Amino acid sequence: MKQVLARPAARFAIGFVVPLLFLAWWQWQASSGGARALTFAPLQSIGAALVELVADGALARDMFATVSRSLAGLAIGGSLGIAMGVSMAIWRPLDRVLGPLLHAIRQVPLIGWLPLFGLWFGTGQGTELIVVCLSAFFPAMLNSYEGVAHVEQRYLDVGRLYGFTPFQRFRLLLLPAAMPLILTGLTQALAFAWIASIATEILLGAGSGLGVTMQLAQTQQRLDVILVAIIATALLGFAINTLFQRLRRHLLRWQAAPL
Amino acid sequence: MTARAPLAALTAPLALLALWQLAALSGVFPTQVLVPPADVAETLWSLARSGELERHIGESLFRLGLGYLIGAVAGLAFGACIALSRLAEAALAPAFLAVWQVPVIAFVPVLVIFLGIDEPFKIAIVALATFFPVALATFDGIRGVPKAWFEVARVYRTRIPDLILRILVPATVPAVLTGMRVALTRSWVVLVAAELLAADSGIGQMMEMGRQMFRIDVVLAGVVVSGVIGFALDRGAKAIEHRATRWKYA
Repeated sequence: MKQVLARPAARFAIGFVVPLLFLAWWQWQASSGGARALTFAPLQSIGAALVELVADGALARDMFATVSRSLAGLAIGGSLGIAMGVSMAIWRPLDRVLGPLLHAIRQVPLIGWLPLFGLWFGTGQGTELIVVCLSAFFPAMLNSYEGVAHVEQRYLDVGRLYGFTPFQRFRLLLLPAAMPLILTGLTQALAFAWIASIATEILLGAGSGLGVTMQLAQTQQRLDVILVAIIATALLGFAINTLFQRLRRHLLRWQAAPL
Repeated sequence: MTARAPLAALTAPLALLALWQLAALSGVFPTQVLVPPADVAETLWSLARSGELERHIGESLFRLGLGYLIGAVAGLAFGACIALSRLAEAALAPAFLAVWQVPVIAFVPVLVIFLGIDEPFKIAIVALATFFPVALATFDGIRGVPKAWFEVARVYRTRIPDLILRILVPATVPAVLTGMRVALTRSWVVLVAAELLAADSGIGQMMEMGRQMFRIDVVLAGVVVSGVIGFALDRGAKAIEHRATRWKYA
């Protein structure tokens, strides 16, 4: 057994056994004609749903909508978060005044804001975007703050020796030293924004997007459509994450040891 | 930390509360949009006195507790299984990692179709949100135990029960506890979301009803309560984590 497992190809093949057994069980449930057969969508109908959604462009439209919502949220919430985190770390009075408030806001589960925002801004796409921005804001803020606040003292000492102006200190010392954590914050913010997009789409169902399609399909008992949307979600999430990790490594290539 | 710090920390929230109270009383905003914080406190108090708040919190915490228990036990067992057996890892890890790519919230529509919108659905979604972080942390924790420790154990001819109790468990507890804490906060978020969507009781449902009836005081009371519960859960879990890993810093 050990020798079999040592071969990558064999390990790869073994990884397919459980999913295939699951699919076989699924297909059997769907075609058994029992009371639950209606709930289990047979594999051919999932395939048909995939073809249908690809052919009429609905899947591409949904994917584009969800990705652009996440990226817009990341751009707005992430940049505000970085700005806030960096300013709080540089200027301590701001930290003392706003810090406790922001940490209090952070305790509320993100989705918990939805009813309130629903009352304030309606249950449309605007509210969806606000929640996505908020979800990207906090990881960006916390990590940027940590990055700037904990720059090594010896760097700052060197800066003082060279007589850096405050701007030079920020541009040449604080920002590069904090960059790894800021990028970590943005990576986390992206993951949060992605989940928040799907969640708000499921809960509010406004506009288009993978979550909207899932929610609509649930009310129509179309499990096949839901599963196609879930698979698209998984693949997209994986692709975005991989891309971002590459970008992060590229931006941090000057570091001696890769993180 | 200077002695002035806590005072300064209180300034901003107090100033904000005062500003909020003034803005609400100024009459610029209709009461469906902004109610004074005093009204929120009053609503919270009357909800608490009528026992309604207690019922909602009780229902939410019961779902959280049961779902968390199921998810954590399953996650521990699964994580240990794929960490200890190479065959189990080869067979189960790829499927696990593939499903892990899907945000837990995306399983809400699937679970609703299979389980309906009643209690089993909410407990299942909490269990699912708990399962993944716990399983992953358990796997990492067990795999992270240095090989040398096992070699030392072999030199000392440690018996298997001792090996598990005195090496494996203490070495993995910190990672597992961190995973369990992360799982707790995540499952609370997911539960509130699930209750917003479909429930007849619970904090999420209280907020959603408040929204539908334009009772912003009830919604805000729900926001406060869910924040306090989330905070308490996180702090409680951190305290347990700290106590259980005290030996590390000794």
